[in-house]
Amino acid sequence: MRRFAYVYETSTSPPGGIDIEQWVTWRTHTRDDPDFDQVDLRHELEFGITERLQVAIYVADWNYVDGETVDRGFFYSDSALELIYNLTNPVIDPLGLSIYQEYKMGDRLFEWESKLIAQKNFGPLILAYNATLEAVWEGDDLAEREGELVQALGVSYEFSPRVSTGLEVLHETVFPEWRGRESATNLFVGPNVSLRTGSVFLTVTALAQATHTAAEPDFQLRTIFGMAF
Amino acid sequence: MKRLSILAMWLLCGCESARYFVPPVVTAESARREDVDLAMLARGRRLFAYRCIQCHTAPSVWNYALEDWPGIVDSMAHRASLKSTERDAILAYIRAVRRQR
Repeated sequence: MRRFAYVYETSTSPPGGIDIEQWVTWRTHTRDDPDFDQVDLRHELEFGITERLQVAIYVADWNYVDGETVDRGFFYSDSALELIYNLTNPVIDPLGLSIYQEYKMGDRLFEWESKLIAQKNFGPLILAYNATLEAVWEGDDLAEREGELVQALGVSYEFSPRVSTGLEVLHETVFPEWRGRESATNLFVGPNVSLRTGSVFLTVTALAQATHTAAEPDFQLRTIFGMAF
Repeated sequence: MKRLSILAMWLLCGCESARYFVPPVVTAESARREDVDLAMLARGRRLFAYRCIQCHTAPSVWNYALEDWPGIVDSMAHRASLKSTERDAILAYIRAVRRQR
């Protein structure tokens, strides 16, 4: 169950638990290309291994792209393996912490993502913070390299066990070829809402770009639908 | 503006923390009173904290009547992948907390 669509929480699936998640992310309108649209789809399977360890497989990430400056059409992007190990609990410990590792492989793409997840629950109020380091190798012979440092903050208030709403903030710094002097910084801010009943949930977050990066979308919307078995 | 934001966040967290529920640690005396192993109560507390928050925030054990808790835990046992011994540990913990007050 996710309260946030971009920010990760520290909790993991229970041992023996299996979850399916369908992600849809729509990005639109860059300053370089006002007609730009991209829809990313992810099919994810999550497995609770122990009380603290969760393993997930992104069976397939694929997307549809449209715009003046891009090749239009459907494209397979990658598949991935994700591991989350919980260290402390956000309710009974002073601060909940988890570490996250993701290995993504696709057509002329390898990506490694490492994340520190922090969370504290104050009754119905939940604060979550992620610090993420991404390293990407892509292109022919994986010769093109890029690094990314992402900080994400989420606040969510649970009005009832079935409804919570809040805010998410993403701060990205991209380092093409790992060069600091060519880095670009982007900031996205927006509200979220999460609904759940029984074994299913739906979480939606809408983010608007608060910076003026021409190549980044001005608006993006992510929906995650999940079901536990 | 920045100071105002920090103050607003502090007040918000402060108001919440004044009444938010942290599952209390149970004492050896409570375990003796309940005639159960203290380790079982400690396990019940951990399960209560870990499994509940996978779907919703952890409720106070005082939110519901003691006789309602078995049905509540049973209704969520499948989603939380609770084995029968884990269910029993959670219920024993809830009983112990309510009686140690």
